[in-house]
Amino acid sequence: MRTRTYQTNYAELVTLTPHRSTWVWTMAGITAVACLPLFLGSHGLNIMSTIFVMAIGILGLNLLTGVAGQISLGHAGFLLIGAYAQAILTTDYHFPTWLAIFLSGVIAAIASLVVGVPSLRLKGLYLAITTLAFTFIVRHLVLFGEGLTRGSEGMAVEPLKLFGYVIKSDFPFFYVALAMLLLFVVLTLNIMRTRIGRAWLAVRDHDIAARAMGISLMRYKLLAFMVSAFYTGVAGSLVALQTRYINVDTFSILISIEALAMIIVGGMGRIHGALLGTALILFLPELLNFGFALTGSRFTTLMADRIYEIKGLMYGVVILLFLRLEPEGLAGIWRKIKRFWVQWPLSQ
Amino acid sequence: MNYFLNLLMSGLVIGSLYGLIAMGFAMVYRATGMVNFAVGEVMMIIAYISFNLAQIPSIGFVGLLCTTIPVAMVLGLVIERIFIRPMLGEPMFSRVMVTIGLAVVIRSTVILIWGVEPKAYPRPLGDGIVRFGELALYPGQIFSVVALGVLCVLMAVFFRYSRIGIAMRATSNNETTALLMGINVKHISAISWLLSSTFAAFAGLAFCLMFSLEPDISQLGLRGFPASILGGLDSVVGGAFGGLVIGVAENMAGGYLGRGLKEIAGFVLIVVVLMVKPYGLFGQREIERV
Repeated sequence: MRTRTYQTNYAELVTLTPHRSTWVWTMAGITAVACLPLFLGSHGLNIMSTIFVMAIGILGLNLLTGVAGQISLGHAGFLLIGAYAQAILTTDYHFPTWLAIFLSGVIAAIASLVVGVPSLRLKGLYLAITTLAFTFIVRHLVLFGEGLTRGSEGMAVEPLKLFGYVIKSDFPFFYVALAMLLLFVVLTLNIMRTRIGRAWLAVRDHDIAARAMGISLMRYKLLAFMVSAFYTGVAGSLVALQTRYINVDTFSILISIEALAMIIVGGMGRIHGALLGTALILFLPELLNFGFALTGSRFTTLMADRIYEIKGLMYGVVILLFLRLEPEGLAGIWRKIKRFWVQWPLSQ
Repeated sequence: MNYFLNLLMSGLVIGSLYGLIAMGFAMVYRATGMVNFAVGEVMMIIAYISFNLAQIPSIGFVGLLCTTIPVAMVLGLVIERIFIRPMLGEPMFSRVMVTIGLAVVIRSTVILIWGVEPKAYPRPLGDGIVRFGELALYPGQIFSVVALGVLCVLMAVFFRYSRIGIAMRATSNNETTALLMGINVKHISAISWLLSSTFAAFAGLAFCLMFSLEPDISQLGLRGFPASILGGLDSVVGGAFGGLVIGVAENMAGGYLGRGLKEIAGFVLIVVVLMVKPYGLFGQREIERV
């Protein structure tokens, strides 16, 4: 039977994937996704790009919350910093746009130390509230630092330039976003199988026991915050490049909650969970739109008037349902289905 | 001097609102060890219900109080029974996330039902101004401060002397041990939600008596966090004190430093306080064994 439940040596423990066939499936999946633009209109392309971009940030949040066990309600703040860093670096300081993407991540990572340092002394809920405070403070600084950020007017963002091409339309941006997502998935997979990833798991499961085993809590918690903020900062700069105009209101506190909904729906601490959760949550409004369009015009106008509330209601209900019925999220459902078929004649 | 006194007084009034909310947080935290992120939204829905109640002709202020508070209590019990109790025994993260989900659901539902436009709340206490020397106060402001003071004293007595209060402290300390000692943990959780939404009801009423009713009222819940953190999440009376401090600090920052600092002064203050005292000013230090 092909289960590979038992690993007998260290090399097996740290392989990227236990089965050769996984590579084949992954490549087939990537090819399928890469062919999608042939069938999608510009609206569909836009949604897919948004999913890829958000998924990068969710991977980061997942590393911090799902893997290292530190709750954060502050990721809207990191996203905001990433987006504004991208806008300011390219328009005011004329950095190359591709370099600014990574610099935005670095700037968000440095800003994360503001929350990371209190996290050394705070646990659980106190930390959640400090990160919430961080979002409020960042929003305030952006609104009132008019000299740098243009305040509440928002900023126009220069389009991405790669190898002399200016990427303005949805079609090339789709592939840029997909490539970035793949890069970060591979990066995450590799972080997870090093000492760092396993140290984070230990910190999540019991931080005092982890410290007793020689893991420096200070170093690894700060690292978790910085890596997570780097991911989210990069996601923020990509959001800026996609929408080409940013404003404080784009990054409200609802984004942090949406992000938590995504990792809960996907399954905490799982990479494929983060991807599935992002996709599901971002597809939901489309499904809802579709459903309302079928029921008639009365609901369509309601949808148009109250889209923000309906989305909020939906996230809330999805969070509640998954927490109650399937705490392991989509990744858990996937695992159960897989196990059923792997053990098929004998499965229960 | 007059400017300073006025800032101080309006700071104390806003602070008393924060204090009431912080007491709501602390109540649930003290009894069940979880943070209820939905306090602001519970306050919001109660305020809107009380708005409908206040439309009843000649209900009067006492009548309003006597109908709103029981409604709030029932609401607290219902929320606890439907959303919180099934999560008993789940990891803390899931339980806190349930309250966040609940918060979003309540806020959206209220806006869908009542709309986003501000509503003019009737003034059952009248529009007269009460003067204390140089200071002029509206009745709603006095109600807020008095409610905070009375509830604060009641709670201090409750936790120190009553059986239920002591059982609550035991439950928050260690749920399993409390269960083994014969405390009905489920009842404790229900009572704490009931009391928490009662505090939220007082805060909501006080808010409505001072300002007009609009969806932004739920923001007050988030603004109440610094207060409960400053006082220590597990200290109900500390939360009230923290609220007053944050209210005054915000107003002073807004009055003297200016430029929108009012909105974030509380958050800046707690980030600083938490660096020095990680469990707040009055919170108990948790000692943990491996």
